[in-house]
Amino acid sequence: MSNWFRNLPLFWALLIAVAGFLGMLIWAWFRPKAYIYQDAPDQRWWRDLRIWASLLMLIQIALYVVFGT
Amino acid sequence: MDIRGIDLFIVVAYLVAIPIFGVYFKRYVHTEQDYFLAGKMLPWWVISMSIIGTNIGAYDYMGAAGGAYRFGLAQANYEWIGAIPAMILSALLFVPYYWKAGVYTVPEFLGKRYNTAVRVIEAILWGSFLACVLGVFFWASGLMLNEYLGLPIEIALIATALIVGIYTITGGLAAVAMTDVVQLLVMFIGGIALTILGLWTVGGWEGMIQKIIPSHPDHFKLFLPLDNPTYPWAGMIFGLAIVLSPAWWCCHQAIIQRTLGARGEWDAKAGMLFAAFPKMFIPMLVVLPGLLTLALNPNLVGADMDKAFPWLIKNLLPAGLAGLVFAAFMAALISSVDSTLNSAATLWTRDIYQRFLVKKASDKHYLNVGRILTFAFLIWAIIFAPVTKKFPGIYVAMQTLLSIFQGPTFAITLLGIYWKRATQWGGLAGLIGGVCISTTLFLFEKWSFLYVAWWSFCGSIVINIIISLITRPEPTDKLQGLVYGLVMKDKTLQEILSKRAKGETNE
Repeated sequence: MSNWFRNLPLFWALLIAVAGFLGMLIWAWFRPKAYIYQDAPDQRWWRDLRIWASLLMLIQIALYVVFGT
Repeated sequence: MDIRGIDLFIVVAYLVAIPIFGVYFKRYVHTEQDYFLAGKMLPWWVISMSIIGTNIGAYDYMGAAGGAYRFGLAQANYEWIGAIPAMILSALLFVPYYWKAGVYTVPEFLGKRYNTAVRVIEAILWGSFLACVLGVFFWASGLMLNEYLGLPIEIALIATALIVGIYTITGGLAAVAMTDVVQLLVMFIGGIALTILGLWTVGGWEGMIQKIIPSHPDHFKLFLPLDNPTYPWAGMIFGLAIVLSPAWWCCHQAIIQRTLGARGEWDAKAGMLFAAFPKMFIPMLVVLPGLLTLALNPNLVGADMDKAFPWLIKNLLPAGLAGLVFAAFMAALISSVDSTLNSAATLWTRDIYQRFLVKKASDKHYLNVGRILTFAFLIWAIIFAPVTKKFPGIYVAMQTLLSIFQGPTFAITLLGIYWKRATQWGGLAGLIGGVCISTTLFLFEKWSFLYVAWWSFCGSIVINIIISLITRPEPTDKLQGLVYGLVMKDKTLQEILSKRAKGETNE
């Protein structure tokens, strides 16, 4: 098991990381809209925190694809 | 260090201006809530800048630049995969529940969700950690003032206490958060100036790559092979990204306290989430200088690699810019010191003094206790700071202590918020069992802290689940507003909780 793990190519690290980023992005979009906007002064599109989270995750994916391995 | 008139003027002007600006916020402090939670009036943009100011300390500059000199861009994992996903998780899952619960500290939340024993253990662990870290921060600050301004070390320590103490004691969290905003701006201006000048000197990004790649082919890769002793990719993903980073961003009192002072739930969430944007640029300030030093001077070896950042300041910066970058360095330090000081006082006042010593005193009484404790921690830090010189490994020991209880803390907090079946006995057993696992792995297996964190987290989850399933479920009334999903569809209850969190009702 340990040897098998050690022999995993570095590319697997990138795959796991990108899958994690995508998973987080999808998880954010499963938060209900009312929960996201709770206590917000208005419901303008830019106050949708799911958009902020998506932007962050897309930038992370780009950084790790370019510099990951 | 060579010091020129213009540099000295910039540094002294900065060190005088910060306490004057901070003391201005004293006028808003009349109650305990004003002092510890800034009167619940912080907007999201102040919260986000204060979070990053608190997060980035002088050790990040020195340690991260040294790490980048040794291992390259992999050091940036601590700012990217080791922070950004966890900040999203914190903003969208943890922060709203802390805020709704109307608590002042993370242990207080765990006390409501589980029981008093969990609260006390967490409060003692975090309270002791924050108090010890204060001494380390003070020593670093004293050394910098000694090195740069030539002040004797004792005078430098007292000067640090005066600069930070004046506004932290009088203005509380509001003063700390607002000065953090200014400090973050100074950090970015100084750091960006250093990076641009460094890149220009080495011939731009391409020039830097061409100078480094021939001798260090892995220095521009974020993931390093599993046989790397410090940054193996599995440790980075499983230990750092999945356990240590969420534990830091979701459970660290000094980080979370800013969001508890938000003027509303949306501001609390947005404050944490927006902080991730400046966080993504932090490698420009702390990692790139290490790579630039490597490109300019590849001859640093051993412990000297940790001096990559000071080497760059000393050898690259012209008059004026050196003062600005030193001010940025001091800003990083002071913004961490004031937050740690304020959070330590909050924890000891709320979770120890108010819970066990004097339970039902007036608001004014607790406000005064908070101020007295802040002063006491300042004196403690001045006395304790020189001790860190005698034990150079003390900061590493503090970080080790943190990693021992961070995994179990995150495990019980995560289950506490996401799983309504988690019981008070499951939480207590998960916390104690997890700490036992991590301590055993450290003492007998000598594992890297990244792997220890992962396995203590897993162990704590398993213990919590098993004990919870064999003990009596918690009554639903106790869990309202503390567990995800229980109030999601109940608008009336949402409004009641929101009012309670703002202090508008006692329900």
